[in-house]
Amino acid sequence: METLTATAVPQFATGVATVTEQGVNDEQLWVKKAQAADSQAFEALYRLHVGKIYGLCLRMTGNASEAEDCTQEAFIQAWSKLDKFRGDSSFGTWMHKVAVNTVLGRMRKSRREQDRIRLVGEIEQQRESIGDSAGIQDLEQAINELPSGARHVFVLQAVYGYTHEETGDMLGIAAGTSKAQLHRAKRLLAQQLGN
Amino acid sequence: MNESDHDKFDDELMARASALPQDIQPQRDLWSGIATAIAKPPAVAPWNRFMAQAAAVLVLVGGSSGLTYFAVTDDDRAAVDDVVQTPELIFRPVSGSFGSRYMLGPGYQDAHSVLASQLDLEMQRLSTEARQDVHTNLTIIRTAIADINRALADEPDNTLLQKLLLSSYQEELSVMKQVNGITSAVMFREDF
Repeated sequence: METLTATAVPQFATGVATVTEQGVNDEQLWVKKAQAADSQAFEALYRLHVGKIYGLCLRMTGNASEAEDCTQEAFIQAWSKLDKFRGDSSFGTWMHKVAVNTVLGRMRKSRREQDRIRLVGEIEQQRESIGDSAGIQDLEQAINELPSGARHVFVLQAVYGYTHEETGDMLGIAAGTSKAQLHRAKRLLAQQLGN
Repeated sequence: MNESDHDKFDDELMARASALPQDIQPQRDLWSGIATAIAKPPAVAPWNRFMAQAAAVLVLVGGSSGLTYFAVTDDDRAAVDDVVQTPELIFRPVSGSFGSRYMLGPGYQDAHSVLASQLDLEMQRLSTEARQDVHTNLTIIRTAIADINRALADEPDNTLLQKLLLSSYQEELSVMKQVNGITSAVMFREDF
C-alpha cells in the first residue's frame, strides 16, 4: 500500500485553485481513496488543506480556539460526506463550503457570535502568526472588528476571491445581499483604517 | 472623501485583502482529534435514534393492540354489560406539564382511573395466556409513553413527539377498552 505522508503533499502557490498539476492528480487519487474509507489518504487531504480551512475559520470566527474546533469539525463532516463529493468543483472549494457551513452552524447553535469574547493575548498571538507587517495586522484587526455579515462576505470575496454568486451560495444569502454587505464592509473598513 | 477617493481606497483595500495569507497553520496539530473521531463508527444522531425507537414502538403498539383484540375476543371474554362511557379527552395548552406546552385534560385521568379499576376485574375473567398478552402489551405502551415524555422534556415544541405521545395514550386507553368491552371513545388535540 502506498504510504501517504505530509511530505507527499504538493506545493501550493497562493489561492485555492493553484495546486500543481501533479498535486491535482495526487489530490484526486487521495479523494478516491478517502471515499473508500482510507484514513491515510484523508490525512493527506487534511495536511494539504488545513491551513486554508483554518485560515478561513479564523477569519470568520475571529477566535483561534473556535477556529480550531471549526476546522476539526469541518474535516470530520467532510469525512462523513465524502460520498457526496462528485468532483464538480475542486476538493478545496468543496472543503471551503463545508467549513463555511460548519462555522455558520456553530454560530447559530451557540450564538457565540453575539457575545464573542476577545482575548487580547490570543489575538496578539494570532497577529504574530498572520504576519509581521503593521499594515497587515491593522487590516486583519479591522476585518475582525466588522459585524459578522459584512465580515463573512468580505473574507470570502476579498481574501479568498469568491464571486458574489458563490459567496451568496455559501452563506445562504442572495447575490445582491452579498454586494450590499461587501459595500458596507468597505465603508466600515475605510472608517476603521482612517480613510 | 469624494467618489474617486472612495474608488481608489476600495481598489487598494481589495488588493491588500487579496494579498493576505490564505494559509494559516493552527498552533496545534488538529489531526489526532479528527483521526479519533473518524475512527469511530458513525454516530447516530439522538433524534434519528429516537425516531428509530419511536417507529419500533409504534409497530409494537399497533401489534399489541391487535394481539389484545384477538386475545379478548375469544371465549374467555365474557359479555360485558357495564360499558363505561368515557368523556372527551382533550390536550389543553398548559405550562409545566410534559413538554411545557400540553397536558391531558382532566377527563383523561377520570377515564383512566375507571378503566384501570375495571381492567383489574376483567383480567380475572381472561385465560392466563390472554392475561399475559394484555399485561405485556400495556407494558410496551406505557414504556413508550415514558420514553416519549423524556424526549419531550428535551424538545418540548416537537409536534411529532406530541402526536406520538397522544397516539400512545390513545393506544393505552384502546387496549384497556378492548379488554373492558368498551369500543368507542374520542381523544383529540384542539390545535391540530
